[in-house]
Parts: sequence; structure tokens; C-alpha cells
Amino acid sequence: MADFANETFMEHLADRVNLSEPGSAPSRLKAQIYSALVQRQSATGALMSLSESHASGGRLCVFEQLVRIAPVGEQVKSLNFCRVCHARVLAEHINNAPIYWGGCPYVELKKS
Amino acid sequence: MAAVLRKDRKATAEFVGRYADSVYGYVRSRLVPRFDQVEDIVQDVFLSAWESLQRYQATGPLQAWIMGIARHKIEDYYRARLRAPEVFVEDAEDLAGSDEALRMQELLDQEQLRKQTREILAALPEPYRLALLWRYWEKASAREMAQKTGKTEKAVERLLARARAEFRERWNRG
Repeated sequence: MADFANETFMEHLADRVNLSEPGSAPSRLKAQIYSALVQRQSATGALMSLSESHASGGRLCVFEQLVRIAPVGEQVKSLNFCRVCHARVLAEHINNAPIYWGGCPYVELKKS
Repeated sequence: MAAVLRKDRKATAEFVGRYADSVYGYVRSRLVPRFDQVEDIVQDVFLSAWESLQRYQATGPLQAWIMGIARHKIEDYYRARLRAPEVFVEDAEDLAGSDEALRMQELLDQEQLRKQTREILAALPEPYRLALLWRYWEKASAREMAQKTGKTEKAVERLLARARAEFRERWNRG
């Protein structure tokens, strides 16, 4: 009998209380997720080349722009350059990392 | 999503930026107070989403789809934690039930109610907390929980009964 009342109580409570909290994921976590996804994508073949990404409206950072206009093949432009970028290292370890390059995915994630 | 599938890094960043907050909020609320596991699970949700993105059929919102993946990950976590052969929990005394306490809480606003619920859940022994979250907030039946943890339905019912009684006792104590 007591347990039946407790069950009813829990059911009512769970219906009324949404435990999810509004709030943001830490920017450090978003950076880590992004890095892990791009790493996973590049492990199974080339990423979309920076020329193609630019052509489809993607905003490139200054380093990516340099690679895009460089006289190199599309294969090179499909490499995961973020792996060797200081912005990635900072963004993955520091919340609101001091990085400000326009078009940098880590900067965009910091703002999201 | 087509751009993410084509491995466009800009679209991938946008994908993370758009859904990370809601996944994070949900996972955090289901793991209270074990926040040390939250970030690993959130990352796992996104990696699984990428792995199965080709199977995503755009019949419903992407948000609902990714939250479905998050729910599965939470269920996996509960299952692993509750699967231990002997879930140790001390006996809680059986309380006479009344809805009075809950009715009184109707006077409180939603935020207070949430705070009190979270605090009590956080203070419960882990098996009790996970059983209650899984049963009442994730709406799993005792039978499903039993199947997924390899326990008998009776054992799950007993665990739930003790967890409810303990929760209720703490609730009444205020």
C-alpha cells in the first residue's frame, strides 16, 4: 500500500519535474568534440577540400585561405590542418580560449 | 547534414555548435551528481551520430534524432552501472504513503521543485538514483530494465520499491 503511494508520487513528480538544466556546454568540450569528429572523418578518407568548402559558402580562417590559394593539389587541400594549429590546442584545453581568427571553427564554437 | 556527410569541416563545426548544448544539458541531468562522466558521454553521442548519420532519414527533426542517441547512451550507462551481480543498498523503512508532500510542493515553483528533486537524487545511493531516473524520467518499464541488466523483474521491482521509499523519506524530511 505504502509502495503504491510512493509509486504514484514518483510518477507525478517525474511528470512535473524536468531535470534538464538550461545552459551551455563548455567551449572546451565543443572543441574536443569537433576535433574528434574531424579526426574520425579524416580517418576514413579525405575531408572536403578547402576550395570546395569555400565555394559552398564556408568561411575559412586565414591559414585555410592561404592553403586554398596555394598552388597545390586538391588532395593537399583536403588534409586536416586543424591538427597542427595552435588554436585547436588552446580551444581543447581552455574554456573561452584566447583565439580570435575569423572563420576558425574553434572560434565559432567558442561563440556558439 | 549532406555537407557533414561530405566531410565539410565548416558544416561539422556548425553541427557541433548547434546541438552540443542540448545534449550536454540532457546528459548532465541524467547523471546527477556524477558529472565526471558527462563529457565522455556527450562526445560519444556525437561520434555515434557521425557513425550512423548515413542511416538518418530526414523524416523528423535532427535534434530529436540526436537526442535519441543520447538517450541510448544514458541507458547504456544505467545498464552497465546496475548490472553488477549484487546491487548493495541498505534497507529503507517502508513509509506510509500520502500525496500530501507532493501537494504541498505544488505551492513551490518549478525551479524549487527541480532543485529539491535533484538534491535528493544526488544524495541517494547510486543504484537507487539510477533506477529511479531510468524508470521515471526515462520511462523504462521494470521488465525492460530487468532484460537490459540481466536481473529478474522481481529483483528490479524490489530495487525500485526501496529506491522509492528512500526518496520519499528524504522528501518528507525536507
